[in-house]
Amino acid sequence: MANQTGRAAQAQERLSQVSNHLGGVRTAKGKQALLEKNPDDIVVTCALRTPITKGGKGGFKDTHAADLLHGAFKALIERSGIDPNLVEDIAVGAVLAPGGGATEFRAAALAAGFPVTSSAKSINRQCSSSLQACVDIANAIKSGMIDIGIGAGAESMSLNYGPQAVSEFSELLEGHKEAANCKVPMGVLSEKMAKAKGIPRSEQDAFAAHSFQKAVEAQKKGLFDEEIVPLKVKWTDPKTDEEKEIVVSKDDGVRQGITAESLGKIRPAFAKDGSIHAGNASQISDGAAAVLLMKRSTAERIGQKIIGKFVQASVVGVPPLMMGVGPAAAIPVVLEKTGLNTNDVDIWEINEAFASQCLYCIKELGIPMEKINPKGGAIAFGHPLGVTGARQVSTLLTELRRTGQKIGVTSMCVGTGMGMAAVWVAE
Amino acid sequence: MLEFRTQGYNGYSVKYSPFFDSRIAVAASANFGLVGNGRLYILGLTPNGIVAEKHFDTQDSLFDTSWSESNENQLLTAGGDGSVKLFDVNVPQFPVQSWSEHAREVFSVHWNLVSKDTFLSSSWDGTIKIWNPNAPASITTLPTHSCTYSAAFSPHSPSILSSVSSDSHLRIFDLRTPASAANHLTLNVPIHTPPKPRMGAAAPVGIAPSEALTQDWNKYRDTIIATAGVDRVIRTFDIRAPGQGPLAVLPGHEYAVRRLTWSPHLSDILLSASYDMTCRVWTDGSAMGVPGQDAMMEPQNMMNGGGREMGRMGRHTEFVTGVDWCMFGAEGWCASTGWDERVLVWDARGIMQ
Repeated sequence: MANQTGRAAQAQERLSQVSNHLGGVRTAKGKQALLEKNPDDIVVTCALRTPITKGGKGGFKDTHAADLLHGAFKALIERSGIDPNLVEDIAVGAVLAPGGGATEFRAAALAAGFPVTSSAKSINRQCSSSLQACVDIANAIKSGMIDIGIGAGAESMSLNYGPQAVSEFSELLEGHKEAANCKVPMGVLSEKMAKAKGIPRSEQDAFAAHSFQKAVEAQKKGLFDEEIVPLKVKWTDPKTDEEKEIVVSKDDGVRQGITAESLGKIRPAFAKDGSIHAGNASQISDGAAAVLLMKRSTAERIGQKIIGKFVQASVVGVPPLMMGVGPAAAIPVVLEKTGLNTNDVDIWEINEAFASQCLYCIKELGIPMEKINPKGGAIAFGHPLGVTGARQVSTLLTELRRTGQKIGVTSMCVGTGMGMAAVWVAE
Repeated sequence: MLEFRTQGYNGYSVKYSPFFDSRIAVAASANFGLVGNGRLYILGLTPNGIVAEKHFDTQDSLFDTSWSESNENQLLTAGGDGSVKLFDVNVPQFPVQSWSEHAREVFSVHWNLVSKDTFLSSSWDGTIKIWNPNAPASITTLPTHSCTYSAAFSPHSPSILSSVSSDSHLRIFDLRTPASAANHLTLNVPIHTPPKPRMGAAAPVGIAPSEALTQDWNKYRDTIIATAGVDRVIRTFDIRAPGQGPLAVLPGHEYAVRRLTWSPHLSDILLSASYDMTCRVWTDGSAMGVPGQDAMMEPQNMMNGGGREMGRMGRHTEFVTGVDWCMFGAEGWCASTGWDERVLVWDARGIMQ
């Protein structure tokens, strides 16, 4: 029987190969094609992040987003050994920074050692900003606009989170139903969605507790050490008001001993009879992450060590009130584009904005729980909005490499109703 | 035109014997090569038409065959199960040797035309292997990291070989180079590079990479290789100037080109077989000397390097997968095979204009 199924799979592969020949100028699809190494592949030669720390009280509470980014850039230059003069463009995802952070991020790049010839921009696609940054750079390389670039993200929710992040809506926007929905706070709409989709609190708490437990375990085993760059920053002790210099080397939002039962005692945050609370939603956090991208042929020419490749991304809009279903909408699209089955993917990094929406997407897509966020997610160590996309790349590629697996997907829901997903291959 | 039916088996490759003008080998597979057995036919051209002198059955599909250059009775097959087998016409039923090293389907086999003591195989597993028929294991493995549809030794040198693969690249390996990280790879030419802009013509636009399925070394000009594949375009390259882009660009086939072969008699003539069910004869324009003033004014000719389609044979009723020239006798005889379970032997001079 096993032999029979092997035969059927082989016949299917041969058939899809012939149909690829007939499809005209369209590159081959499917797992086998994905694992091939082509000179014009867009590859990652370095992906790293700062620790992610608790908003308002963590290690980076007094550090500007641009300074975190500066730290990530310096480490990226040092670890990859890239000649900064070769980097042509840098895209930085950020959500809350005033003015998009465009000025500060360019300055951070210069201060980190990039020459004036390396351009820089900021990008805001809400929670997927730094995935969008990586994709923008990859596409610019693919089209030949640049040869080498960096996709990054930086966020200080400690300094920039608050009502000032969104301006008042005009009467025009308030007068349009779907447009006005863009303003509904995440917690409120996720509560409604959890109710509408029937995700009980007990399941959410169990999922959240599991995220904490996985992160604690991973921290203990040192599984984050490879992706994290320790950063020395100034920090004001809230008790003594004394300014100190500290080295932050760990995600400080990860808490020991969290169980579904202990989370079950927390009061709901958005509605009396609600299911969402601080323990089963993502944390407010600070951090930065950066990914170095180029063509395989370029990497081989300049002697950069390839750790993975970017394959394809997708972005899909969903109703603003159903923001949380974003991954369930975007992932099938990227799988279709790459010809992958759900089973072909070894690790899924799906952002845990809320346990409710993440659970919904996992169920909807039929993904086995053990393949989801194996080192924990945003519930355990935080979701610095504009950083998450690039953070997932470093988390995913290190775990795929460590476990000898190949194909990974990163995805997240996006505020105002969108989903984004990308396929990566570890090498 | 002579015809033979490979009843129940869809043709994948046809090769004339380098020793006898009346002997042809055909590699064929049941169920279009998707699943099931393979069959190797040894056909004889007789006054009474084509007769099957012998056939060998294999467990899995056969995708290519190549006659031995040193023994007139022996020939190789490329198997869907990753095996390379050596059959002897005088040994009944079973192969005299079988090698199973490739992890996936083998797509091409080719005997060394100069030294005659080695052969190669290329596979979907992203490698080319060099073998000695007397050794139980391969001599060398050359990685391409990409499904390699075709690999072939140069007809002019015993140690130079080329390959094309699904990553849209033409690779040249020289086995004389020292073993190093490069694995004897000496050239890696992107096939989709547009031709160099020429005077009087608009700069060519970029073309997306596409799978390359077939290639052949020119028999007279030792640095010229023709390639073709999924983008339906035949190109010729001069490996002395790999950065220059293609010399000749020959569009015309309506679907992917499955097999290409240079004429053994004329240095500018190519024969192709395609999924569009036709075989076509081409000139790459090189035999016409320097294009005249009139030709220079035609932008189309500039793009094509002066080459053109000279004729087509449309008698196949399914994908044409194999085509080969007869080396002997009058200089136009050739054989073709395809998924219509037929082998056709015909004279290309009848269709050339």
